[in-house]
Amino acid sequence: MSTKKRILLVDDEKSFTNLLKLNLEDTGDYEVRVENWAEDALPAAKEFKPDLILLDIIMPRMPGGNVAAQIKADPALKNTPIVFLTAAVRKHQVEENEGIICDFPCLAKPATVEEVIDAIEKNLKK
Amino acid sequence: METPIKVLLVEDSPVDSRLLQLLLGESKTMYFAWTCVSRLADALAKLRHEDFDVVLSDLTLPDSQGFETFQALHAQAPAMPMIVLSGTDDETMAVKAVREGAQDYLVKGKVDTHVLTRAITYAIERHRAEHALQESERHYKHLLESITDYTYTVQVEKGAPNRTVHSPTCVSITGYTPEEYDEEPDLWFEMIHPNDRPAVLEQIAEVLKGKTPPPLEHRLIHKTGHVRWVRNTVVPGRDRHGELIYYDGLISDITERKLAEENLVKSEAFYHSLVEHLPQYIFRKDLQERFTFANKRFCAMLGKPLEEIINKTDFDFYPPELAAKYQRDDRYVIRTGKIFETIEENKSPLGERLYVNVIKTPIYEASGQIIGIQCIFWDITERKQFEERLQKANEELARSEAALRRSHEELKSAQLQLIQAEKMESIGTLAAGVAHEVKNPLAIMMMGINYLNRKLGKTEDENIAVVLKEMRDAIDRADSITRGLLNFSASRQLDVKPEDLNSVVDETLRLVRHALNSNGIELVKTYGEHLPPVGADKTQIQQVFVNIFMNAIQAMPNRGKLKVRTYCKQLTETTHFEGFRKAHPFWVGDTAVVAEVEDTGTGIAEEHLAKIFDPFFTTKPTGVGTGLGLPVSKKIIELHGGSLDIRNLKEGGVRVTIMLKAHRTQT
Repeated sequence: MSTKKRILLVDDEKSFTNLLKLNLEDTGDYEVRVENWAEDALPAAKEFKPDLILLDIIMPRMPGGNVAAQIKADPALKNTPIVFLTAAVRKHQVEENEGIICDFPCLAKPATVEEVIDAIEKNLKK
Repeated sequence: METPIKVLLVEDSPVDSRLLQLLLGESKTMYFAWTCVSRLADALAKLRHEDFDVVLSDLTLPDSQGFETFQALHAQAPAMPMIVLSGTDDETMAVKAVREGAQDYLVKGKVDTHVLTRAITYAIERHRAEHALQESERHYKHLLESITDYTYTVQVEKGAPNRTVHSPTCVSITGYTPEEYDEEPDLWFEMIHPNDRPAVLEQIAEVLKGKTPPPLEHRLIHKTGHVRWVRNTVVPGRDRHGELIYYDGLISDITERKLAEENLVKSEAFYHSLVEHLPQYIFRKDLQERFTFANKRFCAMLGKPLEEIINKTDFDFYPPELAAKYQRDDRYVIRTGKIFETIEENKSPLGERLYVNVIKTPIYEASGQIIGIQCIFWDITERKQFEERLQKANEELARSEAALRRSHEELKSAQLQLIQAEKMESIGTLAAGVAHEVKNPLAIMMMGINYLNRKLGKTEDENIAVVLKEMRDAIDRADSITRGLLNFSASRQLDVKPEDLNSVVDETLRLVRHALNSNGIELVKTYGEHLPPVGADKTQIQQVFVNIFMNAIQAMPNRGKLKVRTYCKQLTETTHFEGFRKAHPFWVGDTAVVAEVEDTGTGIAEEHLAKIFDPFFTTKPTGVGTGLGLPVSKKIIELHGGSLDIRNLKEGGVRVTIMLKAHRTQT
């Protein structure tokens, strides 16, 4: 029924996820599910079946790269686009590489909501 | 008038004294000068101070009696003729006085003028004669003692010695008298030193054969047992027919001469031994530089016997320049009369090289004239070599000490670099962590502001929009600091391509043109031509130049001049670069492309110079500088294998020198 895009947001920063979820859902275009623990990402994805996953890289216990690998390894999820949203890269690196780092689209923190939406839209179309 | 006879009369009786004077005053032939005293002490005093011809003395005086009176007077003046006056009672004593040396005695009361005059005259004359005899004897004795010759005559009968007569002076030489020779016929032979007897007999045999043998020098034993040297000259005497009838012999004492000769020989031997056995080289030369003497050692050195050295000069043995040098030294000694001493290298004609200590002195003849030089020299090669080795060892020591000091310095410098590098690296690690941790809260704030912006941005309260804008800017600022930190800490892969440094610099200058213009800064560009390309990540290098240019511009708030110069140079020396872990980014011989950026600004305070590459060190107002520009720039240049150096200029302002390696095309 809903035409809203389903976004799974995985980041250990609870305040950040809360605010980003608020911003995205405020547009009325997105339904956002938040996971603050990396190991919860895969079960959540299987259940939530997101259109796109926003994934932090540096998280306790399990880095975002591993989460991405789990997603890609899952036949049902492997085509789900993943956008990294991380403080580990810098904006100019992202810009220089046209948003792709290590084969994944990337967003450098601190990003504005517009930038996040741009990245989502750009990668959803694929 | 005749000279008076001075008489000392010693008589205590005034009557007798007067009588004697009267008696003598009557003499027609003599004139007397009297001195009369009555005591012995006075008489002795007179004799001490005056000369008299005769003394007349009574033996009985107040202070002396009898024979003692004579003795005292005689002892005082033994050479003085003395006549003793006596009474009839002590005639015996007077006789005794005469025996002991008085000339005469007179008995008082029995004298008249004639007797007295005669006694005095005789006394004086007799005494004079005695004295003359003594003198003559002494003279003769002295003469005899000084005679060193005597003669003897040997009578020859039928070809054989018959009788020998010795002249009296034989005593002085042999100690034996002619009579002793007469008494002992073999004495003449026995006194000859046993070793010399055959030679003496030979000489006699020659004479007897009718020949005249040469004089013979031989020894004889003096009567006292001393050995004496004599010269025995024999002269044969012949009769009308030429028959030998006697021969005369003259014996001369030559002991003194012989002793002198022996001493001379000994002395000669002593000096000869010194000269020939000392381990020194010795020679003499005359004024014409000709050798007049050379000891064996020097002969051996020249490799020639003495006779081939005498009368030759140095030029006959040594190379010309060495010979000339030696003669120059000789002439110095001859000219000045001074001693010449030196240490020099000597090359013997046999090719041996030695170090020698040389001493040359003038030779004087008896008149004090210099007639040549003498030289003594000796080998000090070993000592010299030892000295040289010592010196070499000292130099070696000094060198290794210097090397040690140098390596110590290098070590210290390397340690400093290491500490600095360590510091930079730990700060880098810290910075990366901090940057990451800061970015997350920034991201949160960004989300918050975005949300509020959307919800409140459309309200009529304009202040809300301003507040949100300020917050947004603050996030950007914080973000730019973390970006700088990460740039600094990240060890990125460089995207190195051959680049023309001039274009990189020029493009960067375009980026800061606005800042230059708005600060009224004059730009002076001096680009080197035909620079070799440098291997560079262009974006990175540009970032460095932006930093440098911005620093320069900010240092010149009241106009100024920015000079940019590029050139290429071949490195001839290398220096250490702080904060760089590897020993040297450059090697001697490397080709470096250099960019120099000079400003005419405020310069860097001395106390800040050491800190300019420390992360977060800034002198700029908050918000203007992050304190990361220079550390990041330096890191980038070093990642390129280059160097970045900043120093104050004497004339004010700062010069930044960036050195990059010329790009090597891989083959």
